[in-house]
Amino acid sequence: MTDWILFIPELYTLAAAGVFFFFCLGRARPGRDYAAAMVLSAAGLVLTVCSAGFEGLIFEGVYRVDLYSQVFKVLIYSGFFLVVCLCADLSGVDETRHSEFYLLLCLCTLAMMLLASSVHLLTLYISLEISSYSLYVLVYLRRGSSQRVKPAFQYFVMGAAASAVMLFGFALVYGAFGSAHMAELMHQVPARIHEPLVFTGFVLSLSGFFFKLAVFPFHFWAPDAYEAAPHQVSAYIATASKVAAIAILVRMIALTGGQGDRVAWVLIFVSVASMTAGNLAALIQKDIKRLLAFSSVAHAGYVMIGILSANAMGYAGAVFYGLSLMVMKFVCFMVVVKASDGGRNIDTEALAGLHHRAPVLALALLLALFGLAGIPPTIGFTAKLLVFRAAMDQGLLWLVIVAMFNVVISLYYYLLVLKAAYYTESEGRPREVALSVPLKCLAGAMIFLMVAGGLWPGYMIVLAESMTAGLLP
Amino acid sequence: MLFQPVPEISLYLAWTAAVVPLAAFGAILVFFRRLPKTAAAISVAAAAVSLICAVCLLVRHWNMDAPLQSAVTWMASGEFEIAVGVLLDPLSLVMLVIVASIAFLVQVYSLGYMAGDAGYGRYFGFMSLFSWAMFGLVLAPNIVQVFIFWELVGLSSYLLIGFWFEKFSATRAGKKAFIMTRAGDTLFFWGWLILLVWGGTLSILELNSGAHGLSSAMTTAAALLVFGGIMGKSAQFPLMTWLPDAMEGPTPVSALLHSATMVAAGVFLMARLFGFFSQSDLAMAAAMAVGTLSMLLSATMAMVSRDIKQVWAYSTISQLGFMIMALAAGGYAAGIFHLTTHAGFKALLFLCAGVLIHAHETNDMFELGRAGARRMKAAMVCMTAGALALAGIWPFSGFFSKEAVMGALAGADNRLWLFCGLAGVFLTAHYTFRLIFIILFPRTEAAGGPGARHGSVSANAVMYAVLGLLTVFTLAAGFFAQGFEDFIRIHGGHAQEGHLASLAHIASPVLAVAGIVAAWMQFGSNASDQVGFAEKIGPVGRLFARRWYLDHVYAWITGRLLDRGIAEGCRRFENKVIEGALTMITGGVVFFGRMAAGWQRAMIQPKLMAAFAVMFGLILILLVV
Repeated sequence: MTDWILFIPELYTLAAAGVFFFFCLGRARPGRDYAAAMVLSAAGLVLTVCSAGFEGLIFEGVYRVDLYSQVFKVLIYSGFFLVVCLCADLSGVDETRHSEFYLLLCLCTLAMMLLASSVHLLTLYISLEISSYSLYVLVYLRRGSSQRVKPAFQYFVMGAAASAVMLFGFALVYGAFGSAHMAELMHQVPARIHEPLVFTGFVLSLSGFFFKLAVFPFHFWAPDAYEAAPHQVSAYIATASKVAAIAILVRMIALTGGQGDRVAWVLIFVSVASMTAGNLAALIQKDIKRLLAFSSVAHAGYVMIGILSANAMGYAGAVFYGLSLMVMKFVCFMVVVKASDGGRNIDTEALAGLHHRAPVLALALLLALFGLAGIPPTIGFTAKLLVFRAAMDQGLLWLVIVAMFNVVISLYYYLLVLKAAYYTESEGRPREVALSVPLKCLAGAMIFLMVAGGLWPGYMIVLAESMTAGLLP
Repeated sequence: MLFQPVPEISLYLAWTAAVVPLAAFGAILVFFRRLPKTAAAISVAAAAVSLICAVCLLVRHWNMDAPLQSAVTWMASGEFEIAVGVLLDPLSLVMLVIVASIAFLVQVYSLGYMAGDAGYGRYFGFMSLFSWAMFGLVLAPNIVQVFIFWELVGLSSYLLIGFWFEKFSATRAGKKAFIMTRAGDTLFFWGWLILLVWGGTLSILELNSGAHGLSSAMTTAAALLVFGGIMGKSAQFPLMTWLPDAMEGPTPVSALLHSATMVAAGVFLMARLFGFFSQSDLAMAAAMAVGTLSMLLSATMAMVSRDIKQVWAYSTISQLGFMIMALAAGGYAAGIFHLTTHAGFKALLFLCAGVLIHAHETNDMFELGRAGARRMKAAMVCMTAGALALAGIWPFSGFFSKEAVMGALAGADNRLWLFCGLAGVFLTAHYTFRLIFIILFPRTEAAGGPGARHGSVSANAVMYAVLGLLTVFTLAAGFFAQGFEDFIRIHGGHAQEGHLASLAHIASPVLAVAGIVAAWMQFGSNASDQVGFAEKIGPVGRLFARRWYLDHVYAWITGRLLDRGIAEGCRRFENKVIEGALTMITGGVVFFGRMAAGWQRAMIQPKLMAAFAVMFGLILILLVV
């Protein structure tokens, strides 16, 4: 019998999506849509937090509710809520499309929540597809831009190709074991991972998640999609979507039980390739959103270091990294949304004199960029420390050194952004960056979170460790 | 067991003595900088509290039989822990009382001396900082705490020497003091790193008792490096020239700096680590040589200087040299006793000089004499008492401590040190009374009373009271020599009395009197021309006046060797090699960045092909390997 109580947060999100569906049918009223989205997402966040203690298996064992999935749902929902907070000025999307925008955002969130709980290859595939389809459309929702078609289409084709490869991999895995239940795979995969069939199937099935996390070689969509999408959608892809991808990738790699040396080598390769490619390409970007996209690619590489270590600290580090990425990237996009005029893209120079125009925002940006570069005492430093420690424990010192070189390269472009915000004075009369009181509080909370994550990360690390404890053999 | 825990009440007393000045400093700088009266009251009150605590501690522990120590962990890194705490033994108790009393007296004196100065509040704030730093240093149970407060002492001296920062020479003197002592501190830093890394302990008691893992060569190296710090702080050769320049600060600051705090810190550290230094004969010999050289060089410099404060400054270096000689000869009690008596009479001399300078607004002794300084009877009597102590004449305190030092030197293996010391006694008496006679017996004298020329603030009764107290101390302290020695010599070495001791004890006062007589013949009697024998021989006089060209050597070293040699070479290397390499590297990185970003311009087909190729290629390669 299915315990529907465990499924309440998902049902609630589905209902919220239904509300927006009805809004779509009527006349466009952006104000109403925004208010509804705020209320619904806040209530949903409270609901997911309340359901964090749930535990159980439902739907014939294909859907697992445990601490791991529930905390990730809280994170995904926080990402959703934070992005909605940025939607007060949704000028990047046509006004008649606002309810569709929220509808798709809701659906995407729902799909990601399903993704975090999926323990069957089929549920996993379906939820991944739902979330991706919502995003394909969301990227296309940008108002007026004639450039939106190509990136959105590329995003779609890339995603479809990755899905196809993943499905092929799933088929091979199923063919080898005769089962698609992760619980059963977990027992059998570690012993047989060295068989060519299993290895090929396993690696190919990772492609879909690589695509989701924008890991090399499935990262090509990221810069164009980030650039073309409305700011809020880019923010959503960079925060909630990445967290969900980390959640499922950790679950998949945990299947190998730390036995897959060859799998580890694949991961090492893509990790090094994505951080190097991401950091190098970010060096010469002018558009902040493109820069953040490449930085996302690089950070996906760092996360992979934690995942491929396949030990307790590595998994916990990857989860912690997901949290830190969400906070820091969100702050960056908050700056982009606030500093841009009418939803247009901005260059780094547009941030000139930000510390005069919006001191709180500039401070938050400073901490976020320091965190992304891994400078203590910020949350990003703790996250990097955890994943690097995990790799060192596995004897991968050289990988850590490569990653440190990458960190140095990344420092350059992060500091360029900071230089614009703090040292360059804007020419003429720049646009006022008006921050409403709630947003100021939000920025303050983010500042607190970033510093607290650097100085007192103990509680969060313990949480991440207890979350991932069940994944280890 | 090296020590016993400090009883609770003593612990509170020690912490109070140390922390109250810090609180005063904070309160003054934050709240009362613009309220001079309040600031001064707070600072003096804090000094009084410290003094009371220090005296209580001394009385409570007069009969202690083992050192007392308490410490709490301040920070821990791996197995290494840094503790802060207090170490109470005769040395720290005596030093605590000296520092507290001199700091208190100098601050009381400053109430009058600094009256009307624009930076009155700031002055007292820094004074409190200075006291705090010195208390922390004195009470420190380990080298890290010593080093921290050692640097704080340096910092507060810098702030006070450069107190009148609108004067260019004052800022330059402050900088010079700071940088030259830093040169020594760097050596000290290396020294305690050796102790930490190879010795495994920084606890003073463990180091002194030999409970460290250092080989004898390492012990010598560490001791020599630590002694480098002492050379900087106590202005010993060759890091000595900052001290005369430090006269740019207000005179009470000089009094404090020269008697109980800054320069005394160096000798104090040597006494603090006496047991450790004793483990290395080479380090002791080096200390002896440095002390002797500094003592003689600075005595000669004092013979030709015309600036009253500078003469006292040179004499400080010289007396510090005596203390280091005594310690290096194994005379632990003698060295510390000389430090104690010197603190008293040097403070007295500086404060008297301050009264004269204040009244006549000149530092030049000849001008002071001509202006009629001798008519300021009280100040002149006090100063003469101080000078007699400095020269080592019975019954002043300097006589007893100098006898003790000579006794210690007589016990040294090499007789050379004793003879150098005796020569130093003669020179000391000579230059001291040169100054006194020049002021007392001017050749021509201007009309008018003291202070008549200027509207400057004349010394008030409180200042004279301070002078009186110090004079009484100078007169009386010598008679407690035996008690002092018994108290201090609990764990220190015992200076063996050699067969030369009796000779030294007789020769020293005789030479002192001879020095005074020589000074009388050249500067005092009516027939004299008031030109010293050193000045009569041109080259020698110039050599002394130019401080043995030490400053020129420094200028050459810093200007030629450091600036134009090493720094210039490094700059060229930096410009040509490092920058060139960097340009290449950054250029390469940006080039690869363009390549990586260039991929994005491709159509979707090659991107997809690349993705598939990578995935399947990886699988193939790994399956084959």
